[in-house]
This record gives sequence, structure tokens and C-alpha cells, in this order.
Amino acid sequence: MMRYHVLHTVKLCPSFLEVDGRRVAEAGGETSFLTDLYRRLGLDYPKFFKMDILSKVGFLASEFLLEQEGSERFVPRDDRAVLLYNRYSSMHADQVFQETIAHPEDFFPKPSVFVYTLPNIVTGEIAIRNKYHGESNFILLPEYSEQAINQAIECAFLALGTTSLLTGWLEALSENDYNASLSLLNTNQ
Amino acid sequence: MELTEELKTKMIEVLNLEEMTPADIDDNAPLFGDEGLGLDSIDVLELIVLLERNYGIKITDPKAGKEIFASVRTMADYVAANRTK
Repeated sequence: MMRYHVLHTVKLCPSFLEVDGRRVAEAGGETSFLTDLYRRLGLDYPKFFKMDILSKVGFLASEFLLEQEGSERFVPRDDRAVLLYNRYSSMHADQVFQETIAHPEDFFPKPSVFVYTLPNIVTGEIAIRNKYHGESNFILLPEYSEQAINQAIECAFLALGTTSLLTGWLEALSENDYNASLSLLNTNQ
Repeated sequence: MELTEELKTKMIEVLNLEEMTPADIDDNAPLFGDEGLGLDSIDVLELIVLLERNYGIKITDPKAGKEIFASVRTMADYVAANRTK
């Protein structure tokens, strides 16, 4: 059995953000909590506003998680994989896109929504932004399962050269219904 | 509303340029590349949909897009000359 340790964790839901078990932000402003968190990061990354909900939540959770790495952040690496899971895939983007093609008299498929109708867009976004060249996967599970997730982590670490993993549950069904619980793991080798 | 201002307002909406106002967009600035708005290929597709949906213009020649979408000014000139609604 592969042994690994947890470097950092983040939990993000509509009411709060926790980093390493510490509450760092709570919802309560008049604007969207996700937009508030984006502004709090002080980034100049306008692409954020083009993302679907799943990508926004995954992007923000990963930003707050990786911020903990300090100066090691953005160092290109081949040994870190990105492995996320959920139950409902990119359901929200799928539904928004469906709306753009549901009415024959107003049939205008929206390209910027269509590109987010896959859950692994967010894993790619995280990998590209952070210059990770390892494995990138988004696994759909019938339901949340510690056992299935641990098996996936074990398998990911068996891949040649993978010593670190950004992993966790990432579900986002709407602006008011999402849940990210991500961890940064390293093998003990 | 002037056509250039109308286009800027619609672009901000469909391209989700959340932190921009029409005043931030220069009529003659390039829409693509580092010096302009920095739009990407998906944005081009959105602009094509915008012209068809709002002005009845169908762009079928991909090569034409480069000139049409050079700036807000070139877009407005093209819309004014070719709109069907």
C-alpha cells in the first residue's frame, strides 16, 4: 500500500472557505461569494469570469490550496497529478448549454458555454495554470465514496514519476450549491 | 445609442468581460493580441453568434473574420453595411 501524507487542505462551500482547517472567509456580502473570493486573491485573471460554476469553484479552491506552497508555486513539474471526482459531472454547464439549443426559433448554441460541458476542463485549467505536466483526470462516481477515492489515489501514485497529487471532491450544481474538498498529497518516498 | 457603444455593451455581456465598461474599450484598439482586449478563439465564435443573433449577419468566410473583428470600429462598419435587422 502506498503511503502518503497530506500537505494542505481546502474546503469551499457557499457559506465558507477553510484552508488547513482554519476558517478564512465566510459568505455574507451582497455580491457572489465566489466573486468575493476571486477579488480577495488579487488576481488579474479575467478568464475566471468566463468559467462555468464547476471551474470557478475548482479554480478558487485550488488557488487557495496552492497559495500555501509559497515560493514553490508555479515551478513547472512533471511529478504532480491532478485528480478530481464528483457525481454530477458538468451538469450545470450542460443544462445552461441545453437552454441555448432548446428553442428552434431561438437556436443559438453558445460556444463559451459548450467548452465547459466536460468536467475535465477544470482539471486541465488547474494543470495548465500551475505548469503541471503529470496525469490529469476527472473521475465520475455513483456517489461520494472514501473507498473509491482512496483506490483512485493509490492508482494515481502507482503511475511512474507521480510523487504529488492535487486531489479531492468537486461538485458544483449552481451558484448556491457547490462543494469542494481538495487536498495536496505527497508520497513519503 | 451609437452602434459602437451598442456593440461594446453587447460584447461585455456575451464575453463576460466582468470588470470592463464600454468606456474601457477603445473603438480602434485591436480586439485580439496582447495590446488589445486579448480575446481568444472562443470569443470569436461568440462574436459571430452575436452578429447573427442581433443583426441577422451570417459570416461564412472564416478569412473575413480577421478584418471584421479587428476592432470595435471595423465591426460597427461591417454591421452598418450588412445588417438585416
